[in-house]
Amino acid sequence: MTELNFEHRQAGHCESGVTSNLLNYHKLSLSEPMAFGIGAGLFFSYLPFLKMQHAPVTSFRVWPGMVFSRTTKVLGIKTHIYRFSNPKASMDKLDEVLAQGFPVGLQVGTFHLPFFPPEYRMHYNMHNMVVYGKTDDSYLISDTVMERKVRISYEDLVRVRFAKGAFAPRGRMYYPYSFPSSFDLKQAIIKGIRKTAGNMVGVPFPLIGTKGIRYLAKQMRQWPEKLGEEKASYYLGQVLRMEEEVGTAGAGFRFIYGTFLDEAGTFLKQDWIKEVAVEMGHNANYWRQFSYLGSRNCKKRSGPGQSFDELADMLMECADREEKIFRNLVKIR
Amino acid sequence: MENSNPVYKDKSYGQYREMLYSYDENGNFEKSVSYHGEPDRVVLEQAWDLFNERAEEAKQKVLAGKVSPIAYYMEKILADPMGLSMMAGVPIWKVKLHIKPFFFKRLNDKTLAKYAEAFNISMEQLKNFEQLTGK
Repeated sequence: MTELNFEHRQAGHCESGVTSNLLNYHKLSLSEPMAFGIGAGLFFSYLPFLKMQHAPVTSFRVWPGMVFSRTTKVLGIKTHIYRFSNPKASMDKLDEVLAQGFPVGLQVGTFHLPFFPPEYRMHYNMHNMVVYGKTDDSYLISDTVMERKVRISYEDLVRVRFAKGAFAPRGRMYYPYSFPSSFDLKQAIIKGIRKTAGNMVGVPFPLIGTKGIRYLAKQMRQWPEKLGEEKASYYLGQVLRMEEEVGTAGAGFRFIYGTFLDEAGTFLKQDWIKEVAVEMGHNANYWRQFSYLGSRNCKKRSGPGQSFDELADMLMECADREEKIFRNLVKIR
Repeated sequence: MENSNPVYKDKSYGQYREMLYSYDENGNFEKSVSYHGEPDRVVLEQAWDLFNERAEEAKQKVLAGKVSPIAYYMEKILADPMGLSMMAGVPIWKVKLHIKPFFFKRLNDKTLAKYAEAFNISMEQLKNFEQLTGK
């Protein structure tokens, strides 16, 4: 039986929360928005050719695993990242690492996760949590979605670690093990912001970044005609689910990113970044408003002013605002 | 803090508080722990309504003998043929065939076991759908 002295802190986004908590265990305090920003977690992509839960995929975040690997890489922290094909081997490795005294981050699927809020138990294989100990019959888990620490049995843990389907985690586990003596946090923040800005406005592909938001808006106008009211409203619901669901901390990570910009402005002593943070805050509130009006449509009591055209206009506005914000941020030195 | 959430149809939903960030008019970013708000509830409920509806529809079809029990359990675990093919490790064209009762009846135990594992049920439940799940 092992139990590490791991501090559980609830967080908005699972992966940056896990990253922040893991680093915090090793006496490197990095707030959750900081981890998110340095890891360049903000993103937008709309993939109409890929269907999830019967509707096209809209993503507000980067590929799973990127936040952790980027943050640690930029800060010069050495990490181990493993994937397995054999469940037994993966659990043995987990025990071994725990015995050495490292809390371990795991990528899991949420569908069979027994302690997870039932309304969120859909197929989502990019959830992250930390194992910080083991008793005779169960593992001790710190999941950033939950308010408290939880437990999970051996069988359940194997099941969620080897959840199948799209983006299967394949037992992915990761932990930092070696830290440099000094960090250049300033450069890390600048790199993170540049990367995000590049992702949002610098990719010459129509489905990614602000171009992706515009593309989605254009498609949205056609949904009611193309798909019929019911399906169109379900598709809209899918966009809103990805935007507001657990693990985004609201408005598709825009709030969390604004918090990061605010902190970054203070840390770098550059006031213009704080001004951009204010803009980001307003932008996030606008996204929030979009989801309020959109959800009214999903409830089928849409009055005038909440038609798909109106919502598409709002999205266009969001795209314009974000384009302005990130064009500004690209210039950071 | 009291659960200010409008109640879900399913009583076990909406019992957990999560971390939410927000931005207020004074220009401060804040975080708070609270129940998720109405938009989340509406869109989540919409999704679950659809899943339950699809499962119910599939159940009726199975009982009428139009599709095999695989179609029902597939909806039950919120999968489509593509997802089920990945979860069970059966090629997608075979999954599509096995949804038809004609091919389902000819399935061997080995393939049935694969499906049963993906659905997290016993093989008996797959074979005797009407007795065990149907009514």
